[in-house]
Amino acid sequence: MILFRKPISVKRALMTLLLPACISLMVTAWFIHGLLLERMSQEFLESRLKDEVAFLEHHIRQANGQIDRIQTGDYFEKVFHHPFAIQSPTQTIISPQSWHPLLSPLLKFDQQDSIQTHTVGPDNASFNILIYRKSFIINDMPITLIVSEDMRALQNSQTELHTWTAIVSILLILLLAGVIWVGITLSMRPVVSLQTALKKLQSGEISRINVQTPEEFQPLVQQLNQVLDSLDQRLERSREALANLSHSIKTPIAAVRQVLEDTNRPLDNNLRHEMGSRLGDIDRQLEAEMRRSRFAGPQLGKSAGPVKQARDLLWMLGRLYPEKSFELSTSLTEESRWPIEEHDLNEILGNLLDNAGKWATECIELSLEQHNDLAQITVTDDGAGVAESERIHLGQRGLRLDEQTPGHGLGLAIVHQIVARYGGQVFFSSGSKGGLKVLIEISI
Amino acid sequence: MRLLLVEDDRLLADGLASQLEKAGFSVDITRTAREAMILGVQEDYKAGVLDLGLPDGNGLDVLRKWRINKATFPVLILTARGDWQDKVNGLKAGADDYLAKPFQTEELIARLNAIVRRSEGRVQLSVSAGGFELDENRQCLKDPNGTEHSLTGTEFRLLRCLMSRPGHIFSKEHLMEQLYNLNENPNENIIEAYVRRLRKLVGVETITTRRGQGYLFNDTV
Repeated sequence: MILFRKPISVKRALMTLLLPACISLMVTAWFIHGLLLERMSQEFLESRLKDEVAFLEHHIRQANGQIDRIQTGDYFEKVFHHPFAIQSPTQTIISPQSWHPLLSPLLKFDQQDSIQTHTVGPDNASFNILIYRKSFIINDMPITLIVSEDMRALQNSQTELHTWTAIVSILLILLLAGVIWVGITLSMRPVVSLQTALKKLQSGEISRINVQTPEEFQPLVQQLNQVLDSLDQRLERSREALANLSHSIKTPIAAVRQVLEDTNRPLDNNLRHEMGSRLGDIDRQLEAEMRRSRFAGPQLGKSAGPVKQARDLLWMLGRLYPEKSFELSTSLTEESRWPIEEHDLNEILGNLLDNAGKWATECIELSLEQHNDLAQITVTDDGAGVAESERIHLGQRGLRLDEQTPGHGLGLAIVHQIVARYGGQVFFSSGSKGGLKVLIEISI
Repeated sequence: MRLLLVEDDRLLADGLASQLEKAGFSVDITRTAREAMILGVQEDYKAGVLDLGLPDGNGLDVLRKWRINKATFPVLILTARGDWQDKVNGLKAGADDYLAKPFQTEELIARLNAIVRRSEGRVQLSVSAGGFELDENRQCLKDPNGTEHSLTGTEFRLLRCLMSRPGHIFSKEHLMEQLYNLNENPNENIIEAYVRRLRKLVGVETITTRRGQGYLFNDTV
C-alpha cells in the first residue's frame, strides 16, 4: 500500500529525475565538444603555420638571403594558400598583394618568434587573423618572416559544425526522452494492472489479487493477500464469537427481566440469589469471549520488548504485593525484541507472575533468556510448590488447587492457550527452594 | 474514615456508598472528573475509589492530577477492562490497587482496608542524591530529567542502600544482605550484575567501584 500513498507517482519521479539529468549531460557534452573543437583547430593551424615558416626559412637560407630570388611568381601561393610577408633590410615581399595593407603594419613590431591573433581590417568589417612571426639572421642580414591565416573561414565552418552538433544533441534528447517515457510506461504497466486489481478489490469484484506482477511486487501482493486472508478469518471468528455470546447471554437477560417485570412476584432472598447468579453467568461469558478475542497469536509485524514489559509487570506486582520481592534475571538487553504480540506476552508474564505472587512466601524470580531461536521464560517462586502428582492438572481451566488462595484459576489456562498458539511448550518443575518453577519455551 | 467515591453510574455508586458506609467509611460521591479533581485536592480523604471511565474525562488523568498536587491518599481504581497494560498504567499513574468490574463488595472493602492499612503512618519518603530521587513508596527512581524508572525489589533495595549515604563505600558483603534471592548461596557475581543494571539507569560514573573495598554512590558527577 505504501506505493500508492506516496505523494508523487513513480513515473513522475523518474521523469523529473532522468530528463533534467539527460539534458544537462547533453549540454555539457556540447560545450566540451565546442572547446575541444576550437583547441584542435587552433593547434592544427599553428603547426601548419610553423611548417610553412620553416619551409620559407629553408628557401631563404638556400638563396643565401637573396629574398628576391625566391619570389618565383605564384609558386608559394600555389603551395601554401597562405598570405606571407618577408622583410629584409633592403626589401619587403608580401604575397599576395591584396594582403599588403594588412601585413605591412605587423612587420613593424619587433617581437621575436611568436604566434598571435590580431584583429585587422576596417572597423566595420574587422576579422581575426592568426600570424606566425619569425626573425632570424642570414649573412648578417636580419630577416623577418610572417605567415598568416584568415580565421574567418575556419570560424565559420567551426560554428556551423557546432550548430549541427547542437541540433543533433537536441534530437538525441528528444529521442532519449521518448525512450525513457516508453521504458517507464512499459515497466509500470504491471503497477497499473495492480492498481486496477486493487480498485476491483475495493468495489468487491474480486476477493483476492491475482495478477501477474514483476518480481519486485510479488512480496507486496503476497502480503496483501495474506492480510486479506487473516482479515477474513478474523471477521468470521468474531462473527461466530458474537453470535455465540449473544446466544448465551440473552437467555439469562430474559430470565432476569421477566422476574423484574412481574410486579406480583415478591423479590425474596432466593430470587435475588438466582438473579445474581444469572448476571454472574453473563459476566463469565463476556469475560471468556473478551479473553479469546484478545489473544492475537503470531502476527506479522508485531513484536514485543520482553525486558521492558517484564520490568513494568514486576514493578506493578511489587506494589500490589509489597511484602514480596519480584526479581528479574536476564541476559537480554532493553532493546531486544521477540516476535510475540505485546498483549499476548503481557498476558503470559502477568498471569505467571500474579500466580507466583499469590503463592510465594518472599521472593519471585522471572528469568528471560534466548538461546538461538528459542525464547525461554522461567518463573520461580519460593512458596509451598505443587506436588508432582498434581502438576498435570495445572492449567486446566477452572481448577483451583488451593481454594484458599484467591483467583480465578484461569491464569494458567490462559497461559497454556497463548503458548499453544505460538507453538510453544509449558513445563512445570520444582524450584530450588521448593516452590513451583514454570518454564515456557517458544521458538521465535 | 472519609472516602471519595468517583463513579458515574448512579445505581452502582449509590449501592456501593451504602455498603461502604456500613463498613465504616463516610463516603462522598462524585460523578465527574472535574469535580473529582477539585475534591481530591481540597478535602482530606483517607482513601479513594476511582472509576476509570468517566463521562468528562479519563480517571487516570484525575489520579495524576491528585498526585501532582500532593494528594497522597491511597486510591483503588475500578476498571471494566482488566488487561495487564491497564493495570500497569493505573499503578504508574499512582494507584495503589485495582479491581475489575464486576466485583464483590466484600472484596472491594477488604482491598480498601488493606491499602488504607498499608498507607497508615506512611509519609512521603524519598531519598535524593546527585539529582536522582528515589521514591520509597512507589519504588521508582526519578532521574535529573524527570523521567521515572520502575525498579525491581532488589534493584530498589541496593540503590536505596547506596543512595542513603552518598560517598560512603559499601562492601559487597554488606550489599549482599539486601538480596533476597531464590539462589541458595548468593555470590558476588550477582551484586556485580545488579550494579551493572543500576549503572544503566544512573550512569556508569555515578556508582563507582573501589577495588577490593566495594561500591559507592558518587553524587558529585
